[in-house]
Amino acid sequence: MSDYQYAVELNNLTKRYGEFTAVRDVSLQVPRGSIYGFLGPNGAGKTTTLRMILDIVKPTSGSLSVLGAPSAMDVRERIGYLPEEKGLYKKMKTWAVIAYFARLKGVGGKEAKQRAYELLERYGLKDFSDKKVETLSKGMGQKVQVLASIAHQPEFVILDEPFSGLDPSNQQVMEDVISDLSDAGSTIVFSTHVMSHAERICDRLLLIAKAEKIFDGTIPEAKAIIPKMVNLSGVHDANKLRALPGVTSAEATEGMPGSYEVCMADDADPQQLLRDCFRDDIELTSFNYREPTLHDVFLHLVGEDAKVATFR
Amino acid sequence: MKNTLHIAGREFSDNARTKGFWINLLMFPVIILASVKVPQLLEEKAKPTRHFVMVDQSGELAGVVDAGLERHYKRELFRKLSEYMKTHMATPEGEDGVEQPNMADMLEKMPADSFQMDMTGDMTDSILDMLDDYDPRMMDALANPESLDAMLAFMKPKMKEGAPEFEAPRRMLERVDMPEDEWGELDPMTSSKDDLVAHMKPYLLDKKAFRDHKDPLFAFVIIPEDAFQQLKGRDKPMIDPTEAPKLGVQYWSTNLTDKDLANVIERALNLEVQQRELLARNLDGNEVMAAQSTKMLFASFDPKKAVGEEVVSMADTIRKWAPIGFVYLLWVAIFTVVQMLLNNTVEEKSNRIIEVLLSSATPWEIMVGKLVGIACVGLTMMVAWILSLLGVLKYLAGPTVEWAGVVLEVVQTSGLLPLFALYFAAGYLTYAGVFLAIGSLCSTVKEAQNFMGTAMIILMVPLFTMVFVAQDPHGSLATFLTWIPLYTPFVMMNRAAADPPMFDLVGTGVLMFVTVILMLWLSSRIFRIGVLRTGQPPKILELIRNLTTPLKNQ
Repeated sequence: MSDYQYAVELNNLTKRYGEFTAVRDVSLQVPRGSIYGFLGPNGAGKTTTLRMILDIVKPTSGSLSVLGAPSAMDVRERIGYLPEEKGLYKKMKTWAVIAYFARLKGVGGKEAKQRAYELLERYGLKDFSDKKVETLSKGMGQKVQVLASIAHQPEFVILDEPFSGLDPSNQQVMEDVISDLSDAGSTIVFSTHVMSHAERICDRLLLIAKAEKIFDGTIPEAKAIIPKMVNLSGVHDANKLRALPGVTSAEATEGMPGSYEVCMADDADPQQLLRDCFRDDIELTSFNYREPTLHDVFLHLVGEDAKVATFR
Repeated sequence: MKNTLHIAGREFSDNARTKGFWINLLMFPVIILASVKVPQLLEEKAKPTRHFVMVDQSGELAGVVDAGLERHYKRELFRKLSEYMKTHMATPEGEDGVEQPNMADMLEKMPADSFQMDMTGDMTDSILDMLDDYDPRMMDALANPESLDAMLAFMKPKMKEGAPEFEAPRRMLERVDMPEDEWGELDPMTSSKDDLVAHMKPYLLDKKAFRDHKDPLFAFVIIPEDAFQQLKGRDKPMIDPTEAPKLGVQYWSTNLTDKDLANVIERALNLEVQQRELLARNLDGNEVMAAQSTKMLFASFDPKKAVGEEVVSMADTIRKWAPIGFVYLLWVAIFTVVQMLLNNTVEEKSNRIIEVLLSSATPWEIMVGKLVGIACVGLTMMVAWILSLLGVLKYLAGPTVEWAGVVLEVVQTSGLLPLFALYFAAGYLTYAGVFLAIGSLCSTVKEAQNFMGTAMIILMVPLFTMVFVAQDPHGSLATFLTWIPLYTPFVMMNRAAADPPMFDLVGTGVLMFVTVILMLWLSSRIFRIGVLRTGQPPKILELIRNLTTPLKNQ
């Protein structure tokens, strides 16, 4: 196994289709062993970026390396890929499909068959091993395809929208698959629309909108982008509130007299704000502090425009 | 390379495992066998005896018609007898050391023009035809009941042990008499023809049962009392269109497609009337018949054949036409397999399986894998077809279907098979490229079918022209089509038996090679671009632009 620090390195990657720019000047480093989430509205360029990483699509400009190699084709046997739209050979048996894709990735015939049966058993599809793919439900088919993309035990896995179309229990199975892979030491890059998955399982995030990278970092870093916010109600004197240390602004909440949305400095402590309010006799009927979610971060960064497109 | 083999293997098993494929393989010999055997069986077993009623108002011709029917029956009897003997006669080998002549050898030496070679008939038919041609009445002397028995008794010791008794065939045409009381008021000899026909119609239309026959009456024939005044011929009065037409002998039947009965009756009557004309002119009938049946011997020669063997034999004739069968086989085989290729490619594209494949193998590997896999399917099919063809011919080749032996001989010795393999390879690779490209550009089977519709019209040309090309293998049509790369394999197969000039052979070889390379290169480019496309297939101009710009700008 070759030595590399980053599973993927992108340097100023750009892809143009005629006049249309799908990806503009994206740079990125995916650390070895991390779980990396690609977030962004539809049409932001996630899939194109993933395809460029896989060398299915050639970049117009910029350079990249995958597992230390200049093209994913050179190391393709160590990469697993689950495309966005899911499909399998309908007439083949379930185990045979998994074994086929594993063999394409260089696994020997006997071993591929054995692994296919093992995976199907481990993820609750044992009874369907010898059935044809066309007899599977959509969700099951998707699970089979995920298994097919990891049966060769890749050290780097790319999953394009792995959660879409799965019911909650299967989404949990998918999360288990990802964490199993991570435990085995694989690097994982996946794209998703569902923020809660990303929040739960990602080490790092890439946010893309309108072909450009708008954020890249850990989840705490992402959350730090937007100011801490506290909702207060029953406040009579907003000026007293604004004078408190650590408060950067206090805006009245529309339609709710006495309610304020308070933004705090990055290093301020919400607990201290509560203590300060008591100390200065600022009347309160409620004090509500919540951590910003990725959802908030995403909306903050992408803007309201993307709302409709993102959370369909 | 390994991936190419994996992909090829999957393509092969995916297609070879379908029911359709096996049905296809099995149907072929079944169809050939059935197309030979079923008509025979139908003729022998299923076709009902044709019963007919005849009213002979002239009072002189009933016997003539009966004699015609008898000749017809005897001909069948004789044919069956000869078939029986050929099937069951012990080979004289070992008895007197004389080997029985090989039928294929005989045909090889027999000038094609000396007999009317009927592909469905056999030698006995040809001999009977010849007799018929010399003087139909010679048939009367053949195989009378007594002479038949005598012949069978004479042959008995020469038959194989355990040979079944000869079974005389049943009569296919039979005249029946109408019982007197069925005529009712009418007197058939004097009543008007219209009345007679009106009376008979219910029987013909199956509204009235005729005696105890299950089948309806097949035909009703009236010979008018003045039959000998209603003649046509060189010195007979011309038909006057202004007069009410004279109908002569009337033949009434609901079945006008089976002409056997009508022909037998007409022939018998004509023979009679001709004999009478001869008598009236004081000519000796036999002399005239002998004179008329005399013919000059005539044989065709082929200067290309070895000295001493230039006579164009029956086998040559078959050899000349055999390529048509091969062209057809080639066409069906190629389009069956490229259709598979198209469907699989569209399936992979619409399923997005292609993306997973592309992350595991280069487009070139995928394409070659698919080509090889499907080629193996095609080869399996072809080998199965050819083996079953040879098997069926071997099974059929015997005394009853002599042509099968000759075809078998020709197929095995003519060198058409290796050419067939070559042209299959060239045709397959050319068309596979085209269909792979189409498949990669279409997202749904429906879109692909739209393309197919147009493509099919272009591809039908070799089928439409194959008869003309075989008739004139070096004509301008053949030469023209030869040099159109899409048609080259078919047309060259078509011309293969006619020894095309060396220039054409080598030239088309080079042309096909270049075409295949070009097609594969082009389609690999289109394949790369096409498989990741979504939405509508591109316009031609867009496609050309795609092909000419480097990949990173696409």
